Amino acid sequence: MGLKIGIDVGGTFTDFLMVRDGCEPAVFKTLSTPEDPSIGVVNGLRDIAASLGTTLDALGPMIDVIVHGTTVTTNAALTLTGAKTGLITTEGLRDALEMRRGVREERYNNRYANVPPLVPRYRRRTVRGRLDRRGREIAALALDDVRAAIDAFKADGVEAVAICFMNSFANPAHEQAAAALVRAAMPGAYLTVSGELLPSVRFYNRLSTTVLNSYTGPKLSRYLDSLTARLAALRFGGVLLIMQSNGGVVLPDVAQRTAVMTLLSGPAAGPVAGVRYAEAHGHKSCVTVDMGGTSFDAALVRNGVPVTSHESEINRYRVAMPSLDIVTIGAGGGSIGWIDEGGLLRMGPQSAGAAPGPVCYGRGGELPACTDADLVLGYLDPDFFAGGRIKLDLDGARRAIERHIAKPLGLSLEEAALGMYRVINTNMAQGVREVTIKRGFDPREFPMIVAGGAGPLHACMIGQELELPALIVPRESSIFCAAGMLMSDLKHDFVRSCVGRLDVAEWPRIRRLVDEMTAEGAAQLARERIAEDRRRVVLHFDCRYAKQYHEVTFPVPLDALQRAEIGRIRNAFHAEHNRLYGYSLEDQGTPIDLINIRVQAVGITDKPAYRKLDRAGDDPAPALKGERRIVLPESGREQVVPVYDGDRLQFGNRIAGPAIIEQVNTSFLVSSSYDCVCDAYGSFAAYRKDRAGLAQPMLQVAS
Amino acid sequence: MTETGKPAAAGGIDPILLSVLARAFKAITDEMSISIERTARSPILCEAKDFVTGLYDGRGRMLEQTENLPILAFSLAPVCKYIIDYFGDDIHPGDVIFHNDVFSMGNQNNDVAVFRPVFFGDRLVAWTAAKGHQADIGGNVAGGYNPNATEVWQEGIRIPPVKVCERGKLRRDVWDLIFANVRYEIVQEDMRAEMGATEVGARRFVSLLEKYGPETVERHTEALFEATRRMMEAEIAAIPNGTYAGEGYVYYDGKNKDSKYTIRVDVTVKDRAIKFDYSRTDPRTNGFVNGTYSSSASATALTFLQMINPDIPHNEGMLEPLEIVIPEGTILNAGYPAATTFGNHLCPPNADAIQRALAPVLPDRVTAGWNNLLCSLTAGNDAEKGESYVDIMFMGMKGGSGALNGADGYDHIGMIDASGGVLDQDYEMFEQQTPHVLRKHEYLTDSAGPGRWRGGLGVETIYEIGSEDTQLVTFGDGDYEPAFGLFGGGAGGLNAIKLTTPDGRTIVPLNKDLIRGLPKGTVYWQQAGGGGGYGDPRLRDRGLLAREVRDGIVSAEAARRDYGLGD
Repeated sequence: MGLKIGIDVGGTFTDFLMVRDGCEPAVFKTLSTPEDPSIGVVNGLRDIAASLGTTLDALGPMIDVIVHGTTVTTNAALTLTGAKTGLITTEGLRDALEMRRGVREERYNNRYANVPPLVPRYRRRTVRGRLDRRGREIAALALDDVRAAIDAFKADGVEAVAICFMNSFANPAHEQAAAALVRAAMPGAYLTVSGELLPSVRFYNRLSTTVLNSYTGPKLSRYLDSLTARLAALRFGGVLLIMQSNGGVVLPDVAQRTAVMTLLSGPAAGPVAGVRYAEAHGHKSCVTVDMGGTSFDAALVRNGVPVTSHESEINRYRVAMPSLDIVTIGAGGGSIGWIDEGGLLRMGPQSAGAAPGPVCYGRGGELPACTDADLVLGYLDPDFFAGGRIKLDLDGARRAIERHIAKPLGLSLEEAALGMYRVINTNMAQGVREVTIKRGFDPREFPMIVAGGAGPLHACMIGQELELPALIVPRESSIFCAAGMLMSDLKHDFVRSCVGRLDVAEWPRIRRLVDEMTAEGAAQLARERIAEDRRRVVLHFDCRYAKQYHEVTFPVPLDALQRAEIGRIRNAFHAEHNRLYGYSLEDQGTPIDLINIRVQAVGITDKPAYRKLDRAGDDPAPALKGERRIVLPESGREQVVPVYDGDRLQFGNRIAGPAIIEQVNTSFLVSSSYDCVCDAYGSFAAYRKDRAGLAQPMLQVAS
Repeated sequence: MTETGKPAAAGGIDPILLSVLARAFKAITDEMSISIERTARSPILCEAKDFVTGLYDGRGRMLEQTENLPILAFSLAPVCKYIIDYFGDDIHPGDVIFHNDVFSMGNQNNDVAVFRPVFFGDRLVAWTAAKGHQADIGGNVAGGYNPNATEVWQEGIRIPPVKVCERGKLRRDVWDLIFANVRYEIVQEDMRAEMGATEVGARRFVSLLEKYGPETVERHTEALFEATRRMMEAEIAAIPNGTYAGEGYVYYDGKNKDSKYTIRVDVTVKDRAIKFDYSRTDPRTNGFVNGTYSSSASATALTFLQMINPDIPHNEGMLEPLEIVIPEGTILNAGYPAATTFGNHLCPPNADAIQRALAPVLPDRVTAGWNNLLCSLTAGNDAEKGESYVDIMFMGMKGGSGALNGADGYDHIGMIDASGGVLDQDYEMFEQQTPHVLRKHEYLTDSAGPGRWRGGLGVETIYEIGSEDTQLVTFGDGDYEPAFGLFGGGAGGLNAIKLTTPDGRTIVPLNKDLIRGLPKGTVYWQQAGGGGGYGDPRLRDRGLLAREVRDGIVSAEAARRDYGLGD
């Protein structure tokens, strides 16, 4: 039957998008089950089965592809709840992990503390044995030291081990010898060997990435094992793919080995989806934001490509792997409101999550959360949350806000709720500033694509703070990343160090390395059932001028490599260096060093085609489902506003703010500053009232 | 949609545009900084980030800077103004100007700046600038630290403002004159990296003006200065009025054994202005342990900035409420033609004087003493690569910061002049770029000054020198007096360097010293001390202390002796 399902497990909700050829995509949402996220996944599949009039058991064989994003590793790194990890490293270099090269990111802030190391000092064990800068052995590896480390780890109940030795990028022998001992003595432990994960020079980058991999690996492995088992029990025979930080997808066993590549597994699909929605409106660039229950992600897409970096940080820990450039802050529907020492109202980053959840969920939550404020302000309908499946406890929400916020601050209930709403909007606007203004881009030049269950309730006020002219709320906004996952290609990144002068490079060797990586990529893609005509190979070199420290990564055409057209490759490097850094040394004849060769093997997947709606008239009245008294977010005044059924709005309908557009899984609050049109794909495109001229192009582009 | 939001009314201020511009300026200088970091050759620049990039308006007023090292924070804007005066009308598109002269507002001979005027049409609208510590600048000693110098000419070549490019054309004669006086070829490449960064900055600034219009940008710039000045004034107004005195000490001037000099500061707070007066400071030395006004005033400003809201933007408006008086002829402002290479490193004792002065009135803002700098530099020939090298031992010199009320000091952060901005060389890159082999680089047990809040930890470093006939220079302090504790906290540890040659000879260099002819296989050992503690150590959280004992950064013995564990 050819079902494709995108599944995005968030901190609070698990989102599903199901696509079948020739049918409307269908959206499902279940509460996440943090103790074992695969339970929530199966719950959602049960809902999908029911919607198809079948049973869970019968659903499995109907599914071709499941693409899955998970925050298991992200949460482990952010909340420091990863595996108990031991590090084996070179004698004398015990503290490099914790020192982080001696950086304090805030130079003028003497209260700014270092982050706790992922492996505490007593579990960082050093061993004798040393390679020099070219990989030649200076001192043999002391296997007894490795054994002593293993004994200590076993006694301590260590579940994951990281091995990173000095200069291992030039010679893997010592690391491999140590790894063999660990594998033999600790067969159940999750092991990461630095030279296998990231065979490139720079000790700290490799060390930090290796440790993060081991720290997050066991949780991810257990989770994916559990998920695979549950799916197998449903007789699922299709392909399960896992979303990676680079915006591509891989098979579960690859993800299990390179857990560190899933640190942005959930949010990485957002910009991928954003590209498609922006393109539908004729834009090459956009900001994507996603407000779920726990966190808010913002990213920038420029010229059709999500902004990517090769070196990033999570929680100030270095990750030297390719990933999309996404800013995450702790703001979501579950964010808890509190009053700080100075008497100021704050929101988050603590979240009520899925359990206990906001007070209004009636699942034992006692502290007022963002969703409680949204409910008290009238933006949510207590009887139509999740399409009415979850009854919201309005009185409970009122009591909690009254007790914890309104009374201590001497405010009315509505004032307190509105304060919570405004504070969290300001926090999120700051997140958008991070990916735009802070990088020198004016957010007013880009449409903002709004996603996440809670996003559309807050988008207009974020937009107002940043003076954004236009917002696009896709009809599938509540499961935006799940949609992005179905639009992702398979991507496998490989790197090999090959240090030497480019001019006298051994082309046969380079071609062999490229062939090797290409073959590895092809084998992966074959296992992922990607036909040969849908495979692409993208080649990059990392080069630098002689004696420089840092490399420039630039694309190398495959035919230039085959024909060893060094002039073309050299020119591509000079040009990229000049573009990035304002000069090249072409005229000086400075030699160029080749450092790394990177191959990305891409498998092009089928993208779901979304059906366009037929053009209807301006009048949204047929979709009017009622009206509700709300507190207007701009003025704080109460007003009765129309409520529309988002699923019944048609292409061409125009809605004047203030109004509420309700769907089963999300509500879009069109504030007084914005008006809105429903576009050809059923997305809601809002534009500032003083920029009414924008409405027409939105309709035209979409038609 | 591609147009921006509604333009600000004529003469008006658009608050969103104001914050967009402030961030855009910052993005420009950050991008310039990344450009140098990624393209430079010398590890001093690309690994330790000993450089600053800046953006100034047409009159030389600071719009924004990226200060990898706070000590360089205020070393560009005064030079920019000097250059504008110096060339007057003779500034044209395509000009590029070099400068390092310490007697025309430069801060250190090795810090060579590039200034590039930015034109919009035919109007001079801004300057972009970059200044980095060059691997060599001529003079008697490779690398520039000449502890025997008594006047500037023994330290390096002086570069008063000079155009190396005129209207877009490189002046080869000028270029060759400068670099004929510099030992290493990589300095030429690194100056090209600085020039490249100023070009990147100029391109970005022009595109900002194209987008918003020069008048709008100028109007918002003034508003930005005004807002910043008001934030500074509010911070100062919160300090009680009065005059507060403090001292810091400099040990050994490189000439006279056991010499000691005192820096004396009188800090006067009056309403919304603050004055730092160094009139009572000791006279200059006859060696190279002397400051320039730029380096000393930077030290004062950065120490004070750490006591106030760290989010205040660094532009011209921030400087207005600060008055810094340093009479010429003192150790902090030696005057022509004194040797001054050590000047940046008078920051730690200067900071000590300010912390001690303000401790009684700002007990929750000051820190205990920071580990002082003791650094070394090696130069020689890497036989395997057939190339010369010079390397500053950054990772070895970084001790701990002082604790403050409510927070431990920061481990292995390094001198206060950098405040965590100078990074360790990456270990593998260190071995790629020098012939040395690193044996040890770890936290030093019991190095932190004890306290309810402990000082930051120091480190121990050991490496094996990999070249014959190696030259080693030391420069620094902190081997006589440890970082001081505050309010019952204990002092941190001392700095030390020791060399052991293959034939077993031990050499203990002075803290400003020059040693030639070290053989391959010489073992270099260094300890950088920890920072001072704050408050009574017996009040330290016992769970925290137990973990530190488990991890081996506090010994069981010290836990009993210093913290009273088990009492």
